[in-house]
Order: sequence, then structure tokens, then C-alpha cells
Amino acid sequence: MLQFEYVKFNTLEETCQFLAQHVESAKILAGGTDLLVQIREKNRKVQELQYVVDINGLSGLKGIKEESGIVTIGALTTHAEVVGSPIIAQAAPLLAKACSLVGGPQTRNLGTIGGNICNASLSADSVTALVTLDAVLTIVGTNGNRQLPIAEVFVKSEKNTLQPGEILTAVSFAALKPGTPNAFTKLGRRKALAIARMNVGVILELEENKVTSAKIGVGASFPTTRRVNSAEAVLIGQEPTAVVIAAAASEVSRAMIEITGVRWSTEYKEPVLQVLVRRTIEQALGVE
Amino acid sequence: MGKPVVWYVEEGGVAMPLMGKKEFKYLNKPLHRVDAYDKVTGRARYAADLEFAGMLYGGTLYSPYASARVTHIDVAKAKEIEGVKLVMTFQDLPKMASWGSYRFLTDVIRFQADAVAMVAATTHEAVEAALEAIEVEYEELPAVFTIEEAMAEGAPTVREEWPGNIHGPASFKVRKGDVETVFPSCDLVVEREYRTHYVEHAYMETEAAVAVPDYGTTEMTVYTGCANPFFTRHWVADALGVARSKVRIVQTITGGSFGGKEELLGQVASRAAIMAQKTHCPVKLVTTREESIIGSTKRHPMRLRYKVGVNKDGKMQALQCEIVENLGAYSMHQFMNFRASVHAAGVYNIPNVYVDVLGVFTNNVTSGAMRGYSSPQIIFAQEQLMEEVAEELGIDPVEFKKLNMLRQGDMTPTRQSLDAEVILEEVVDTLLVESDFFKKREEYKNQTGVKKKGIGLSIFYRGCGLGAESADASGCIVSTHDDGTVMINSGLIEHGQGLKTCFTQIVAETLSIPPEKINFIGVDTNTISDGGITAASRSTAIGSISMKKAAEELKSHLINTVSKLMFHCPPEMIDLVDGFFIMKGVPDAMIPFDVVCTAHYWTGHQSTVYCWNRPDDLGYSLEEGGGGKAFPSYTYSAVVAEVEVDTETGAVDVLRVYAGHDVGTVINPATAKGQIYGGVAMGQGFALMEELGIKNGIIKNKNLDSYIIPTSLDVPEVYPYLFECDDPAGTYGAKSLGEPATEGVGSAIINAIHNATGDRVRELPANLERVLLHKHLVPGGGK
Repeated sequence: MLQFEYVKFNTLEETCQFLAQHVESAKILAGGTDLLVQIREKNRKVQELQYVVDINGLSGLKGIKEESGIVTIGALTTHAEVVGSPIIAQAAPLLAKACSLVGGPQTRNLGTIGGNICNASLSADSVTALVTLDAVLTIVGTNGNRQLPIAEVFVKSEKNTLQPGEILTAVSFAALKPGTPNAFTKLGRRKALAIARMNVGVILELEENKVTSAKIGVGASFPTTRRVNSAEAVLIGQEPTAVVIAAAASEVSRAMIEITGVRWSTEYKEPVLQVLVRRTIEQALGVE
Repeated sequence: MGKPVVWYVEEGGVAMPLMGKKEFKYLNKPLHRVDAYDKVTGRARYAADLEFAGMLYGGTLYSPYASARVTHIDVAKAKEIEGVKLVMTFQDLPKMASWGSYRFLTDVIRFQADAVAMVAATTHEAVEAALEAIEVEYEELPAVFTIEEAMAEGAPTVREEWPGNIHGPASFKVRKGDVETVFPSCDLVVEREYRTHYVEHAYMETEAAVAVPDYGTTEMTVYTGCANPFFTRHWVADALGVARSKVRIVQTITGGSFGGKEELLGQVASRAAIMAQKTHCPVKLVTTREESIIGSTKRHPMRLRYKVGVNKDGKMQALQCEIVENLGAYSMHQFMNFRASVHAAGVYNIPNVYVDVLGVFTNNVTSGAMRGYSSPQIIFAQEQLMEEVAEELGIDPVEFKKLNMLRQGDMTPTRQSLDAEVILEEVVDTLLVESDFFKKREEYKNQTGVKKKGIGLSIFYRGCGLGAESADASGCIVSTHDDGTVMINSGLIEHGQGLKTCFTQIVAETLSIPPEKINFIGVDTNTISDGGITAASRSTAIGSISMKKAAEELKSHLINTVSKLMFHCPPEMIDLVDGFFIMKGVPDAMIPFDVVCTAHYWTGHQSTVYCWNRPDDLGYSLEEGGGGKAFPSYTYSAVVAEVEVDTETGAVDVLRVYAGHDVGTVINPATAKGQIYGGVAMGQGFALMEELGIKNGIIKNKNLDSYIIPTSLDVPEVYPYLFECDDPAGTYGAKSLGEPATEGVGSAIINAIHNATGDRVRELPANLERVLLHKHLVPGGGK
């Protein structure tokens, strides 16, 4: 059983200071849906745990707002709050969908967006949607604030680039214009409480029936959750016909294998990732 | 031959022997579960909830290997930790073997959950710290994990008593006719192999026990929720080295068992008792989910090889079958293979049958009883096999099954004549009509889309109770009090299946008093006789016979009191109806039940009746060429499943399941349907997603985040159909349901997948990879 102290500070500054002084020994408690499991499993990530730093109660880390077309979600906002948010329903339906598919009701009520990002699981559903949205993270540290594109916070599975003493405080993205085709899909081994085998987010912009902008985010397939620019390029400038969509989808799988090589799961993932990408694009476009 | 089937015509005109034509006052009624309120309000106290003054907490240290020998163990540091009262290793328990040859503590590790040390301390924290402080060095030993490895020439021996790794007592044969001579003359011979996997019970309550030393007439009392308190008593008495009469087991409210709360539970109770004996303090030992998954038994993985000979007319002539199961490192369930051998040929009339069932030891987790007790695996194979044979023959599989199915008067593979009613055909026909089977099946054959629907049928039967496996005997007690309430008890236990409710209804029916007057108290081994294991779907059907007899006898005592003290008429003129004693034919002669109970008690008459029931011997012979009556009766069942297969991802969505069971008499339709709903979910998990990830004997998915069972979003719409018939074997004609509810679901789903895709899944589970690629993908690339 891991023995640790529970600590809680009044300000973000004090919290960052403490975290900076206790780099490996202090872990942040947000929703706790990952941390408590890691503590129970004595996961290597918490091997040196001495302090659990509860950031619940710090002001300004919770809530969803939209200003001048930029949506900002506080790091402590729960998945359930994202799912129920009228702002997200308008500005990023794919994110609401992704958050609705996280775990079960208990996970969604406790688990936070910030936690989902920082835990850096390849299967994190909200992360794939946020990567597709080109979200930007606001990170506060002992040396002030910085902004970081979300895709750059991931190093590999369960490893992020946050520096000692840094806390993710918010994630922002440009609100989608009404009517922007977007979708999120997930494949799990069951319909609820499922860890994604793969998940896909898609946002498209079209003019005169031609794709002018395409974003395809993919989780649980690449070394980190990321957009697949080469597949997006297949769509851009084209009419999204079945052939073009299939070509883009196929490019996602090709790009995956190029980076990951052939692994034990590739035989399954190669064909099925294409299917998911194709379906997500079709869903975004409202094609049956 | 019994009375003809009672046909019940539902609206729409389909005639069916469905529930509803038997005349009962309290049976056939959806009485609320008598234990429901305590459970849903949280008042129910499970073993882990109990606290005693001075109680210590226990913990167990397991090996990180599946096959190893301890070369060095040092507990000095563990003993120094504050709060630690006891640290024990195998050195402190020399040669102490349990029932089933498990060791409570051992230096020879035969599977992952063989324990090397245990600890008792004043806090959970001290227990964990002490377990971590024990220093152990191991030498890994050669091991076998698969059936093939275990049976290979020169394979390492898992258990010294069984060189060659074949467990002698687990070998069972069935011989009928002469397959050797018949196969060559058959128009078609089909051979197939099927395989199944390890499945976890996943009961909500993990194993828990509190052992309290007594120092009186009893040495030790253990509070625990187990599958069989009397077996647990056996375990604990052996562990303590005391007489069984000195050990008392109190059955606490039990959060599920499904056959599983026996071996690990017995060890947990025993370890708690050993530590309580040494420390003279109560000791609570509760398994974590991870310990429960690595240590508890699993459904036996099986390799099933079949050979079927059939003629062009569609009649099966011969069936040969070899079933080999992976026992893991220990085995207390050799008798499962009796059941397996009897049911291996399915519910079919085949003149020549040759069945061999055997089990092999490996260094994997131990296989044990799990809902179905071999039938889910066998039916998965057998009911696909029948369709594969029919397809090769060019006959409609449903027609083929109906042509060959057992009917009243037929001989089973063990040469048991089915004298009681066999309404299998009615069950099957009803489900075919209700599910619109043929129309859907034809539609589903020509689908062009990506998502393809399919519909599948499985038909099966299950021998009720223990049958010739062992004596299906048990005892019950029925007592009236002077206030007119009734206390009942049985040696069989409630573990969530609804036994207390059903037994209460049986007594209510027999005495003709309202169920609210009856209180089922539950097992304390000091106050009720050993009624054997609560398993084999035996309790409601067979185990309650003694309850009915006891209630009948008590009723006759009360009638005698009324006869002597009140009505002054012969007892034959008196009856007990709706809570009143009446004089037959005299309208106003009524005395309330409680008034009679008061008088009965104060005049010193017998208010308690204990009754034992031992069914007549069936006369089954296990000798070569033996056989005979294997079970007193059979439950006949059919399941139709409808699925939608995503042919691009391999995902299978189970849309609807129609489940029909001839249960003889429905004691409680609500609990019966509850069994079916839960059984369908369990069958779905077995077929599609549940699978223990075990590599070199080490289980990878040790918790329910990675051991995947169906959620409420996954389970299908379930349409239960409860059939009744006249069968003399069970109480009020009741037959088994708990296990039939799950055992044919998997095969119906797999047959539905075939209808959708044209592909056969011959190895379970039918997960994403198997359905899409027809192969199993695992990290590392192989088994």
C-alpha cells in the first residue's frame, strides 16, 4: 500500500511551487479517475509518490466559456459538464460526443478534461476530439504561463511534456462555425466502460462542395494521438466522393504503419482504422 | 407417461404449454424477493462488513510465478512492523494440505495463486507493509500451460500423484451401440474441433471470511458467504486440525457465487481460521478483486473433438466425441465430467454414441464449477456441429435438429428412457414462431450492407440436480411459533439466485398461509444438517422436497391439534386453507392459523419438523458398457438469438434473445425471468467478450476494467418463455433453471453470427479479431 500525504493549497502559485519542489514525489489529484487506479495498482508512474496534491477548489480551473469565437474549458471541468454544455453542443459537437463515450457515468462525473489530457493515454476519447479541434493548452508554472498546441504535449503513451511545477489550467479552441461537418467515433470491446481500441475525430470545411479544410485526428493507433496531415491532404481540394474518402481513410492506415511498423495488432487495425476514418468522415458529412 | 401437455392458448392463437394452467395459490406468483429490501437499502451485512472486538486483518502473499520453488524466505522484517501480530509461512504449516490438495501455504508453487505466507495485523496498512517486507527467493520450475503441452510426451508433471498430467478420476465414458461399425456405413461423416476459454464468475462480492475463536463447545466460528457452508466447515476443520463438529460456519449474505465460492473461499476461510487460532483474535480476510481473479476457479477451457455419422435421410447414426479440459493445477470437480459425458451428444436421439471426457493438469489457474458445469462449452460445440452436419448434408439445420431431437419414450445416450413428458418440440416451435425465425433467417441470407443481421437457434437439455453424480439429499426444518409465524431453514443457501423466496413460496403453498408469515433464517452449520452443495440447479427442483415434506408433516401435527382440541372431528375432515383451519363441508367452522399455533405450542405439541429427503438411487453404472438413468428429470430448453455483425470491424451486437425453458412448474415467474435475464448476459459475455488473458500461467487482466463483461448497454432485449409440464421428480413438479438460463445462449449467438456472415467461429470468444479475421490476435503474437 502506497503511503502518501494529502495536500491542498489555496492558490495556483503555491501549488506550482510545491509541485516544482517535489517533482516525482507529488501527483496532482483532479478527478482522480486515473490517479486512484494508478495508486491501487502501484503503477510505475506513482512509484515515488509522497504527496497527492488536490487542485480541486483552486479558483478559475472549472467551467466552459466562449469569447470572440474561442471556447475555453477549465482543466477541472468534468466530462459530464462538457457533455451537458450548450456551448460545446454548438461549438464542438464531436467533443461532446467523445466525452459522452468516456467510461461510465461515475467516470464522467469525476474525470476531468485536464486529467484526461495530462494522463496522456493513447485511448483518451476527449483528447482525440481536442487534437482534431487543434486545441491549445494553457499551462501555468512557476515561471509564468505558456500556451502549447495540444498535440505537442504528448511524448508517447502516458507521457506528457509538462515541466516540473507546471499545471494545465485550460484548453481552448476555435468554435466551429454552425453547420461545420464534424464527427467522432470510437470502437471498443463493449458499448460502455470501454477503452477505445481506436477512435477518430473529423472536422471538414467545404466550399462549393469541395473540401477546403480537413482535420482528421486519430487515437490509439499512432505513438501519440495526432492529426494525420497526409490523409487530410487527400481530401483537400476534392469533392468528398466515396473514392476520395476511401483514399483518405486508406492513407491514415498507411501512415500508421509507416510510423509504428507492423505490430501484433496491425492485422486488425490496418483495415479497421480505415473503416472508422471513412465512417467518421461520412458521419460528419451526413452520408449514410 | 404422465398427463398430456396442458395447452394454453394465448391471444394470436399460438397454442403453447406456457405457464398458467396449473392451479396454485402461492406458486406461479411473482412474489417480491424476501431479501430484496435489505439488499437494495444496504442493510444487508456481508462478511466483509462484520466487525468484532479485537479483530485483526489478514493478508496473503502469492508467488509471482506459476511454477516455482521457494529457495529462501525471510519474515524477520515483516514481524517488526508495528501492528503485525502474526507472520506465517509454509514452514509453520508443514504438510498441511487442504481438501482438493491445495496447500494453505506452500513452498512449491503450482499456479499463480499458491500462497507462500500470510499475515495478521491490527490495520490493513500494517498487513500490506508486512507482505511487502517478506523476502522470498524462487527457483522457477518447468511448467505446462496448454492441453497439448500437458499431454505431450515427457511433459513436466504438475502433480506428482498424476504422472502424465491426466487426472484419473476425471475420466468418464459413455458407450451406446457401436460407433466403429456404423461410421463406415454412414452416407456422410463430419469431423470438427471446437475450443473454449477461461471465463471468470465475476460475482460482485469477492471472497471474504471472518474467523472468530470460540474456546467453548466450538473451536472456531467462521462467518462467510460461500457456495457450501458444509464444505467450508470441512476445509476449516482440516486446516485447524480439529473435528468437524468443533467448527461452525455461519453463512453471511452472499453476493453471488455461480458455482465459484468454493475453492478459494475455502482457502480464505481456512487461512483466516488458522490465523485466528494462532493469535486468539478474530481475523478478517477479504480478497481484493485482483486476488479473487487470480485465485478463484474459472470455467474449464475445453477442446472438443466430434465425429458424426449421418445418413441422407438426415438421421444421425453415430456420434463420437473426445472432450479434454484444462484443469489448471488442482481439481475438485472430476464429477463435472460425469455431467459432461452424459450431455456430450446433445439433446438428440443417436443410436450409437462413444464419448470420452478427460481432464489434464496444467500450471494455470484452477478450473472449477461455473454456471452450466460443462454445458455452455459443450452446447457451444454441439449446437454448431449439428448445423455444420446439416449444411454438409444439404438439410435445413432446424429441420435436422427436429428430426433427431429426443422425444418422450426415446433413449438418451446413456440409455435412459425418457418416460416423463418431453416438450422440447413445443418449446422450439414456440420460439421459432415468436421470433419469426424462418422469415428472418431467409431475409438475413441475402444482405448486402456492411452490418449484417443473423438469427440462430440452439436446443439443449439439462439433467436436473446432481443426478447420479452424487446423492441429491438434503434436509429442511419448518417451525411454527406461538404467534403463528413460521421459521424455515434448509442446508442449502441463498447466494443471490432467489432460493429463500422460492422456498418461502413452497412452504406458503404447502401450509396455505401467506408468505409474509414465513421467515427463512439461513445456514448456520450448528443448527441445520449438511444438505450438500447449493449447485447443479438442484435447490428449487430437488432440494426443496424435504422442505415440502416437513411443511406437510407440520401441517398434520397442527390438524391433529385442531382435531383434538377444537373441532373434535377426525383429522381427515380438517384442512388448512388461506390461513384458516376449516372443517370440510361446514362453512362457518374456521379457526385462524395463529390461534391454532398458540394452542398447539402451549399444549406441548410438536411445533418443529425436520425432514430429510434422499431421492431413490438412479442405478447408473459408470462401468464400461454401463450407463442408465443419469438424472431424475431434464429441463428442455431452446434459445433464439438475433445479432447484427459489423462485417468491417467484427463487432457483434446482440439485438434480441428469445429463451424458452420447460421448468416443469414455475415457482416464481419473476425470479425465473431474473435467472433468464442474467443467464443471457452471462452467455453473451461467454460467447463474445469475456476472456482471461493468461500467459505462462500469469493472468494479465486481474480486474474488471480489463476483464470485460457485458454492461447494461450491451445486453439484448430478452424475451423469456416459461413452459410447464407434468414431471414427478421435483417439488411441485419443478425442474432446474439456474444453469439452463445461460448454457445455450452462447451457441445461439454463434449460430446467429454464422447466419449473418456465413462464417463459423469454432474457438471462443467471438471477439472483434476472431469475427473479422477468423483468428486470435494477442500481444506477442501467440499463445
